[in-house]
Amino acid sequence: MIDVVFQLIAFFMLINNFEQAEADERVVLPRDQLAAPPLVHRQHSFLLNFGYLRDQKGVIIDPKPYFFFGDERAELASVRARLRQESQYYKTTGTDLAEITVEIRADAEVPAGLVQELIQMCQEEGIAFQRFALKATQKATEY
Amino acid sequence: MTPMIDVVFQLIIFFMCTLKISEPEGDFEISMPLGAPNAAADSDAQLPPFKVRLRAGADGRLAELTFNGTNLGSGESAFAKLNSEVLRAVNALGAIGKEQQEKQEVEIDSDYNLNYRYIINAIGACSGRMQNGVTVRYISKIKFAPIRQQQ
Repeated sequence: MIDVVFQLIAFFMLINNFEQAEADERVVLPRDQLAAPPLVHRQHSFLLNFGYLRDQKGVIIDPKPYFFFGDERAELASVRARLRQESQYYKTTGTDLAEITVEIRADAEVPAGLVQELIQMCQEEGIAFQRFALKATQKATEY
Repeated sequence: MTPMIDVVFQLIIFFMCTLKISEPEGDFEISMPLGAPNAAADSDAQLPPFKVRLRAGADGRLAELTFNGTNLGSGESAFAKLNSEVLRAVNALGAIGKEQQEKQEVEIDSDYNLNYRYIINAIGACSGRMQNGVTVRYISKIKFAPIRQQQ
């Protein structure tokens, strides 16, 4: 029995590690039938979570959307510095910026203009990302 | 021996409680090549891109969806209509050549305050459809029009 229990622990410990802290729960993704995970796993990508602060029932508390970085939050204007850092990191490691996909997890109710501004920011001089992926889910999140 | 089993059970319960099963997420790729806001010369396709215009109401909901000048209304059916219009347009391109079909782009032009979900729905409607669990692709190149500043 102890052996079985040890197996279970090991299983749960491993499974837990694969949960990406990156896919922030606070972001309620839009839903679309065609949103399928990419067939080929992307080698180089990084993720941005963009959403609203919501209460337990899912009602929006703060009318301004924020970028979530773990425990921190930032507004669109302050994200530029982080993007520049990411870009610098890729340049120093010698990765071609054209190969990197910026995955954007944006809440369904975020204004489209803000997402477009984010994409524009990512394409600025000094940051220069070229590929973008907009995330969506096939099933709706229920509160 | 028993205290160790107790600790082990505590650990299991901890990991079971912190386990989170997340749904698979998919995404749509968009092509925004650098340095080309007026990309007429850069674009591979010989024909101009299909234009999808999304007009928003005051609260961010979709007020009007237009495809290449044709008004498709608003609401759920608008995207279904968009899907069939895109299919029709892509099939019409087939008369010119398969290459043109593949290179054709769609340009999405939306109001600033439109809810992001409609953008995703529009991209989904232009990208293809699900048939018997398989994705049938219409257009693979999607891009955004220049940002319309808030009024």
